[in-house]
Amino acid sequence: MKKILMWSLVLLISISMIGAFSITGCKEEKAAATEEEVAPAEEESAEEAEETKQIAEKTEITFWYFHSGAEGEYMAALADKYNEINPNVEVRAVSIPQADYMGVKLTTAFAAEVGPDVFFMSPGDFLKYVNSGLALDLSPYFTDEIKADFLQSALDAVTVNDKIYGVPFEIELLGLYYNKDMLAAANVQPPKTWDELIEATKTLTKGEVSGLLIEPNKGYYQNFTWYPFLWQGGGDVIDAATKEGIFEGPAVENALKLWGDLVKAGAPAKITIPGTWDIGLLGQGNVAMQICGTWAIAVIEDPENGWSETNIGLVPLPIPEGGEAATDAGGWKFMVNAHSRNVDAAAKFVMWAFAENIDLPLEWCTVTKFAYSPRQSVIESGKDIYSKGLRKVFTDEIYDTAIGEPRYPSEIVSAVGDALQEVMFANADPKVAAKKANDIINEFMKSFSGSM
Amino acid sequence: MSSKCFARGKFFITKKRVGKNLFAYLMLAPDIIGLVLIFFIPMGIALYVSLNEWNGISPMNFIGLKNYATLMSDSLWWHSVGITIVYTLIFVSMVYCLSLLIAVFLNSITGKIQGFLRTVYFVPFTISTIVLSIIWLFMLDPRRGLVNKFLHIFGIPAQSFLGNPKQALFCIAFMTAWTLIGYYSIIFLAVLKDIPVIYYEAAKLDGANTFQLFKSITFPMLKEVNVFVLIVTTIASFQVFDQVKVMTSGGPAGATNVAVFYIYTNAFDYLKLGYSSALAFMLFIIMFGFSIVLLKITKGGERE
Repeated sequence: MKKILMWSLVLLISISMIGAFSITGCKEEKAAATEEEVAPAEEESAEEAEETKQIAEKTEITFWYFHSGAEGEYMAALADKYNEINPNVEVRAVSIPQADYMGVKLTTAFAAEVGPDVFFMSPGDFLKYVNSGLALDLSPYFTDEIKADFLQSALDAVTVNDKIYGVPFEIELLGLYYNKDMLAAANVQPPKTWDELIEATKTLTKGEVSGLLIEPNKGYYQNFTWYPFLWQGGGDVIDAATKEGIFEGPAVENALKLWGDLVKAGAPAKITIPGTWDIGLLGQGNVAMQICGTWAIAVIEDPENGWSETNIGLVPLPIPEGGEAATDAGGWKFMVNAHSRNVDAAAKFVMWAFAENIDLPLEWCTVTKFAYSPRQSVIESGKDIYSKGLRKVFTDEIYDTAIGEPRYPSEIVSAVGDALQEVMFANADPKVAAKKANDIINEFMKSFSGSM
Repeated sequence: MSSKCFARGKFFITKKRVGKNLFAYLMLAPDIIGLVLIFFIPMGIALYVSLNEWNGISPMNFIGLKNYATLMSDSLWWHSVGITIVYTLIFVSMVYCLSLLIAVFLNSITGKIQGFLRTVYFVPFTISTIVLSIIWLFMLDPRRGLVNKFLHIFGIPAQSFLGNPKQALFCIAFMTAWTLIGYYSIIFLAVLKDIPVIYYEAAKLDGANTFQLFKSITFPMLKEVNVFVLIVTTIASFQVFDQVKVMTSGGPAGATNVAVFYIYTNAFDYLKLGYSSALAFMLFIIMFGFSIVLLKITKGGERE
């Protein structure tokens, strides 16, 4: 009896182990597909069984997005709309948290060959995916008519060696948002120069309120929000013609020093939110000024954000003495996985969404959020919206100063980020930090064989 | 003794012995199989990947030991190892000293209050590291955090904590130690309870004070558990990652760029999976070396 019990126990444990391996060893696509799928699997009636059979015969495309709130709803609806008009295609939209999206999630999915067919890419990581061969060359889908509709600079940003690797669909500019009441109470004017910005930060930092919010965390977003200050003084990271590092000189040192001075003046060295792209801290009255982008306007105007009483203003980014106004023009790109089993279907979905359609990009840029479209036809259709509220400041005072966000390899993004971090938090001499970064950049460029 | 052997050498497994312990071997088998499948095989794959140049998408390119040669001259890597060693020294000493101290105090308390305090100290261990990291991120906020509000009561100016390169690593070490002190104090407490009371009574009769009792009786009796705690906490400290990812992302100014975070950056930011695998093996060798040194210093916990 004892032996029977012992052997039964061994059998039970072995079956449990096998069962556990079967469940947890399932493929990534199944795991990804269970995360907020847009097409839920319900109990099937005979009718639904027939529908399921039809779906099973359709071309399936998975589409990963990181957007949330109204933007997330827009992306999910994009898939639904395409499915309605294309009965032979099933687009499955999957929502991934932004913090995971660009980190482990996409990389491990592609390495395991279970990555999405369609995904979003920031300029900061663009080259990583082009140089690794993951991005599909979309040039065959860009007719001359479609190309003519896009702003040349927007197309250049997604072109490498004369091949187009993504579909741009938004141009996001940076400005300085501020709390009108806080500035008025402290008798401070919205700053126009770097010195005024530092003084205003010092004056407005009181108690739990920080005078200014700039991105303290190292990463592509910190670089994105800092580049305008580098460009305002005539500086840059890499010479476009020679591909050599030029991250030295007064323009670089002054821009680095500015952010160090702003931290000393009261800009937070640490934040509890994932990133300062969230205008919420300004809206809630925790900061008096914040560098943020066009995307913040939709959030500011949303009556459900819980802080509609906050009186927010916007001015262009302050400039140094003798400098020229500049802002960063960012914006994510739509990309197709070159290793997809349905590249043609995926490419057609992407082109339909943002390169051929006018209504959908217009809705994205003017209703869902605020951004400029890289397409003339969409800009023309939505020209009335560009002068409403805070948008007018972007349109009249900031748009013409925009420079496209650079697309450097991660190692260069990291070297620039390290220089910023050392000056902001380790009291490093900007000249020393800039030289160190430039040496790393030049060393990297010697062995770099990818495209830029 | 045995008539037939399945394997010769040090591990003298005989048919008779297997037959006698068959049930034990079979009960251990699932765990061994699991370890092989989940640990040893992936480790072998990672070792192979470390001999290649691979971005995770294109085919692997075999380059032999080139990754290992590169890491030997990678100053950023050795800097991150240095930061990890500093973290280890802070973390291990904090965990060891505080958990032993708490165990000694708990051992001197009798009744239900001891059980209650043991539970209170143990609670942080039951909460996920990620959740605790987020909670501490809020508590250490320079302007609105609870810790600065507490320091303000004593007139201490607000600190940057995670925004200060000189404080960030200590904050992470402290937070992690705080979560583990309860767990290790229970381990110490279990051993302390086994020390015969007559040893203390005899010593007291000879006029020993509290410190002498600890030095001459308590501490020597803890040799084996000392080795366990020191080695396990050292290995854990070399593997620190979650807290760094959530709280500081390696900053500010690289002050918390520990080894595992540097490996993560190389793998998922730079898409250098071959190089990051080589870094991971190097870290394993360093951890192994540390453990050997610790074993030698503590003589494996053998009592003299």
